[in-house]
Amino acid sequence: MLRAVWLIFQNEYRLLLRDRAALFMLLLAPIVISAVAGFSLGNIYGTQPGSEPYRVVILNSDRGWLARRIIEALGHDRSLKVIEAGDISEARTLIATRSRTPMAIEIPPNTTHDFEAGANPKLSIYIDPVKRLEASSIEQAIDPILREITAAANDRTRIAIAQQSSDLKARLTRAAAEIAQAKSDLERSQAALQRTLTASQSDLEAQIGEMSRSIIRAVDRSIDGLRTSVARDVSARQQALVAVRAYLIELESSRSEFEKWITQLKTLAGSRADQIPPPPKWPTPPTQEQIDLLSQPIAIPDIPASHIVAPDNDVHLPEVPKEAKLPQLAIPDLSGLGISQPARIPGVVGWTEHSLGSGSPRVNTFDQYVPGFGVTFLLVDMLWGVAVGLIDERDWGTLARLRASGLSTSGLLIGKLMARFLIGLVQLMILFAVAWAMFNLSLGRTSWALLMPAAAISFAAAAFSLLIACVANSRDAVLPIGAMAALAMSAIGGCWWPLDFEPQWMRAIALAMPTTWTMRAFNDLLIRGLEPAAVVHSSAIAAGLGLLFLVAGVAASSRIYRQR
Amino acid sequence: MDSRIDHVKSSQPLIEAVGLQKSLGSRPVLIDVTLTVNAGEIVGLLGPNGAGKTTTLSILAALLEPDAGSVRIAGLNIGQCGARLGPLLGFLPQSLALYPSLSSHQNVHLFARASGLSSKDAATQGAQALEAVGLSERKHDPVWTLSGGMKRRLNLACAMAHHPRVLLLDEPTVGVDPQSRESIFGLVRRLADDGIGVLYSTHYMEEVERMCDRAVLIDRGRVVADGTVQQIIALGGHRPRIAISLDDLPPPGWCDGITDVRELGRSVGGNALTVEFANFSAIGQILETIELSGCRPVSFAVHSPNLSDAFMALTGRALRDDSGEPPEA
Repeated sequence: MLRAVWLIFQNEYRLLLRDRAALFMLLLAPIVISAVAGFSLGNIYGTQPGSEPYRVVILNSDRGWLARRIIEALGHDRSLKVIEAGDISEARTLIATRSRTPMAIEIPPNTTHDFEAGANPKLSIYIDPVKRLEASSIEQAIDPILREITAAANDRTRIAIAQQSSDLKARLTRAAAEIAQAKSDLERSQAALQRTLTASQSDLEAQIGEMSRSIIRAVDRSIDGLRTSVARDVSARQQALVAVRAYLIELESSRSEFEKWITQLKTLAGSRADQIPPPPKWPTPPTQEQIDLLSQPIAIPDIPASHIVAPDNDVHLPEVPKEAKLPQLAIPDLSGLGISQPARIPGVVGWTEHSLGSGSPRVNTFDQYVPGFGVTFLLVDMLWGVAVGLIDERDWGTLARLRASGLSTSGLLIGKLMARFLIGLVQLMILFAVAWAMFNLSLGRTSWALLMPAAAISFAAAAFSLLIACVANSRDAVLPIGAMAALAMSAIGGCWWPLDFEPQWMRAIALAMPTTWTMRAFNDLLIRGLEPAAVVHSSAIAAGLGLLFLVAGVAASSRIYRQR
Repeated sequence: MDSRIDHVKSSQPLIEAVGLQKSLGSRPVLIDVTLTVNAGEIVGLLGPNGAGKTTTLSILAALLEPDAGSVRIAGLNIGQCGARLGPLLGFLPQSLALYPSLSSHQNVHLFARASGLSSKDAATQGAQALEAVGLSERKHDPVWTLSGGMKRRLNLACAMAHHPRVLLLDEPTVGVDPQSRESIFGLVRRLADDGIGVLYSTHYMEEVERMCDRAVLIDRGRVVADGTVQQIIALGGHRPRIAISLDDLPPPGWCDGITDVRELGRSVGGNALTVEFANFSAIGQILETIELSGCRPVSFAVHSPNLSDAFMALTGRALRDDSGEPPEA
């Protein structure tokens, strides 16, 4: 099989070298079309590679410094040329008669005044609708100029306000110092008053104490006299009670003797005892405890002098305050006013472009169109080389003759696809090299990384062409079917315009196309300036889709080899 | 060349196809086709368009697989020999199987290399093949600049440059001028004389009668006759005929007295007779008898029986269709 592969591989190059039309399509056509597209459609990307500048008509009705600044800035843009017009009719005439003159800008009266007053003055732009794209491109250029002028004016105002703010801060600082001094004086006065108050209070408390003590002494003397008198009286009453007690004890003893006498009397009376009348009843004697109590001494209560409360002299002294308090002074704390940084007015929110990758945010249109049209022509050339080539060879009979010579069909297919794969790869590399030399095409950070997506799309295109050959099965059918499929795949896959221009449903379809992933990889390398590792994934998907084409193509390849 | 001479002497057929069957969809294309070609032999495969000639050659060249049957080329079963078939086989397809943009030399060199020759041998033998077909002077010219006859000769050169042992020629003279046709005939004869077995597919009866040692008649996918030209003509059972134009028609039964002569038909309006006879010596007697009957022959044409007659007799169909279109399998 290797011999078959090698023979067919060599033969493909011989056939190619003999085919001037194919060589033209392979090499010259993509360069020419890419150049035409790059020069024609560069405005989509806001760049104007190597062409005459656009003319912008200016109608200056303001005559202020802002208007002059705008006109000067527009004049410094190399892609623009400023023409001043006297009135709007002259501006209209200039737009209508001059080439590359798509718009007029009117700077209305009082623009500078309104701007300085803080209003938002607006310029009036008159455009020729037919030249909408060019006008948009110029508007893109005007926008940063206006932002820059506005920002510069705002900066000047901001500096003046900052100066005013700084003066105010100094004055406030001085006022704060004076207030702090006043507060300090007041606090000293408060301390002196406090000392005087404390001394008066101590003196008053000493006098009151002395008066209380003299009253207590007088009361104590009175109580002592009273206590002596009571003791004498109690002692006399106690002696009388002792005599009563002795009498009662003796009476109790007499009653016992009497009862014994009665008993003996009754015994002696014998039978007449019943006639003896009962003795009179004795009164019930007090209890022993009562009798003992009579003999106990009478206690005279002790009246301590300290318990004697001085009589109310009806003297009500006012409550003396513990300390002298001054009313709290509300002195503002000026240190917390944040005057250390002067207040700033907010600036103008603007933007500057930066590339997400390491590349420039300004796109060289050839970075988009060269790989885009390169991929398109690769697909078309591959259709010509593989699909038409296979069908031609079948119809010529050379395919059958080669098979009859002992070459395997797999060897024939592999040889042809390998040769065309390499031709496609070389085609893209030559295209990139020419575009680099002629149009300053970016080759990314690592130029060899371009081989990854280039190889992936070359492989996918070869396999896709095999599939088309099997589906179409005739020369007449290959070109319409194949060209339609290839061109649709190029358009939807983002070869001719950025993929984001397309609606969502179309972008979803694009995911199934190797062109989409290839263009993503080329954009990553050429425009975004990413590292080679960033395109491995997308290149692999493009190659994977190519593998699906190849499997389907090989499965259907018997349609090509079938005898007609 | 010595090795090929050895094969001339070999008794084993170089092509041996047995019981080939092939259908395309539900339509049978070949039905039990069996044929052989020996070394040094030119066998004509003769049949009308659509008879199955190209299908047969495609199977022999391993381009088609038969539904049934077997093919051996120089003793090798083609279903199993793979790339070894290339050096043995030279295949000349019906179409001009050439790369139009390549030169004659590049075409011959490519197919010789594909058949297993080294680059050097392919260059040497390719030059010899171009010399043999008379294209040495145009060897660097792209094919598309050659005339139709030159392309046909180049087509043959591509088939034979690697010195195959078997040559399969599918309608090699279609659209060829007489000079190139003669050149091709001579070349094929020389190749056969060198020991190559040639299977020559055509629907031109004259080519088979002139060149072939044997003929295989094929119709509607079946082999209807296989043998030498004479054997096949004899199978048809036809005798020579004479067609005579007259000023007036003789009365019926005018030839009853002539031995082995029979009137096949007459055209009343055109005053013409068709008469069959056994021996050419009877022609004089036929013309004399007509004159004796009072009629005068204006012109006559003698027709010897041929393969076309045999084909008609065997199949009931003409060998060539009325359209006169180029051959088609």
